[in-house]
Amino acid sequence: MDWTPVPRRPTAIRREQNLALVSAVISGGVIAAGLILLLVARVNPETADGVRAAATDIVAPTWSIVRAPIDGAAKLGGAIADYFGAVSRADHLSAELDKANAGLRAARKGQRELLQLKRLMAVREPSRTVVTTTRIAAATAGSVARTAMLAVGDSDGITRDMPVIAADGLVGRTLEVGRFSARVLLITDPLSRVPVVVERTGQAGLASGRNLPTLLLADRIGPDVTLLVGDRIVTSGDGGVYPPGVPVGIVVDPRSDGAIIRPAASPLGGGFVTVERGWLPIPDNQPKGPVFDAPVPVEARTRGAPAPRVRSNTAPVN
Amino acid sequence: MIATPPPPARLMTPSERRGWLLSTWRYVVPALTSVALLVLMLAPLPLAVPAVPHLALMGVLVWAMLQPALMPPWLAFCIGALTDLLFGQPLGVNATLFAVATGTMRLSGRAFGRHGSGFDWLLVAGILFGFMVLTGPLMALAGRPTPVLPLLWQWLTSVMAWPLVVRVCAAIQRRLAATAPLWRHG
Repeated sequence: MDWTPVPRRPTAIRREQNLALVSAVISGGVIAAGLILLLVARVNPETADGVRAAATDIVAPTWSIVRAPIDGAAKLGGAIADYFGAVSRADHLSAELDKANAGLRAARKGQRELLQLKRLMAVREPSRTVVTTTRIAAATAGSVARTAMLAVGDSDGITRDMPVIAADGLVGRTLEVGRFSARVLLITDPLSRVPVVVERTGQAGLASGRNLPTLLLADRIGPDVTLLVGDRIVTSGDGGVYPPGVPVGIVVDPRSDGAIIRPAASPLGGGFVTVERGWLPIPDNQPKGPVFDAPVPVEARTRGAPAPRVRSNTAPVN
Repeated sequence: MIATPPPPARLMTPSERRGWLLSTWRYVVPALTSVALLVLMLAPLPLAVPAVPHLALMGVLVWAMLQPALMPPWLAFCIGALTDLLFGQPLGVNATLFAVATGTMRLSGRAFGRHGSGFDWLLVAGILFGFMVLTGPLMALAGRPTPVLPLLWQWLTSVMAWPLVVRVCAAIQRRLAATAPLWRHG
C-alpha cells in the first residue's frame, strides 16, 4: 500500500513507532469527538444550523448555475419532440377539453351556491400567497435524509415551515433557511408528517414518509372505512403549514394497518416549484417573561432584563 | 508521490522555497477531489430512493488507499462533517463513519500488504456495507431514527461505481506525479 522504504536505523524505527502511536491516538480522539457531536445533536438538534446554512448557501446557487445549461438542452429536446405526434395529441386534448368543460358547466351552479352560502355565513378564509417560484437546485438523493435545496433564501422572503408545492402536488416544506438557499424537507423523508384527508370519505390522517418512493397513511381518525385503490389524498390544512386541498397522492395499497400512498408529484421532478406562505400564521412562541405584581428592581432593568408584564396590562386568560 | 518531499527547510535556496510554497496545493488535492465528488452527489436527480452512489465516501477510501499520508482519519472526519452539513443529517454521523472507514482502510493496508484490485473491491464493498449498517444506530443516537434498508440501493450502486472512482482518482494521481517538482538536493 504505502511504498515508502522501511527505515533501517533504530532512531528512525522508533520515530516511525512514535508517529504511528500519535496517529492512532488522534484517530481515536476524532472518532470520540464524532460520537460526542452526535450526543450534542441529540440534546440540541439546532446545534449546527448556522454552519449548515452557510454550507448550503455555497452549494445550492452553484448547482442552480450548473443545471441551467442541462435544463436548456432538455428544453430544446422537448421542443423538438413536440413536433412528433402533434396532431394526435391535439385531438386527444380537445376531447379532454370538451369533457372538462361539461364538468365545469355542471359544477358552476354548485359553485355559485357555495359562494352565496359563504357570503351569508360571513366565512373568512386565509388565502394562499405565493412567495416565490423556483427550480429545485440540488438534492440529497444519496443520503438517508431526504431533502432538497432551493437557490432562494432569506433575501427572497423565505422563512422556516413554508409549503413547497409543484404543479402536480405537494413536495415538502422548508426546513432551514440561509441567505441564498433553503433546505426543503421532502414528504418522503422519515421526519415528514403531512396532515391529510381522504377526499372521498373525508377521513383525516397523517401521511408519513419512510425513505421509500411511497408514503404511509398513518393515524387515521374516525370509523374504519375501507379505502379503495385510487382514492385521492389531499392536504387537510390542519397544523397550519400546508394549505388545504393540495394533492398529496393516491392510495395504491389500501391495507387496514396503514394504506400506502403514491405521491402525486415526483419528489424532485424537473419542473418548477412554488414556495407559499404558511397557511396559518405560526403562533408566537417567544418567551414573554413572568407576570409581576411586585416592582422590578432597577438593577435588573439596567442589566437588560425584559420589560416586566404587569398583571393589569396582560389580557385576561380565557 | 504526488508531492515529492522537499529538501530540509534550512538548506532550501530562495527559488526552491518559492517553488515549494507554490506546490503545497498538491497536498490538498485528495481532500479537494473528495469534496468535489461530494458536491457531485448533490445533483438534483429525480430518484425516489437513496440510490446515488456514495461518491464522497468512496473518494475518501480511494485516497486512503493510494495516498494514506494525505488522507488521515482526521481529514476524513472533516470531509464527513461537511457531508453531514450538506446532507442535512445530524452533525457527526458521516463524520464518525468516514473516520472509522479510513482507519479500517489503513489497518487493512497494513495487514494485507500488496494485493490486486479485486481484493480492494471486496474490501470496499465490506466497508460500504458496514457504513450502511452503522448509519442506523448513529442516526438513532443523534435522536433521528431512520429506516436504513433503502440504503441497500446505495450500496449496490456504490459497489458498481467503485472501479470508475478508482480510475478517476488514479488518473489524477498519475497526472500529479508526472508534474511533481524535482529538488536538487545538496
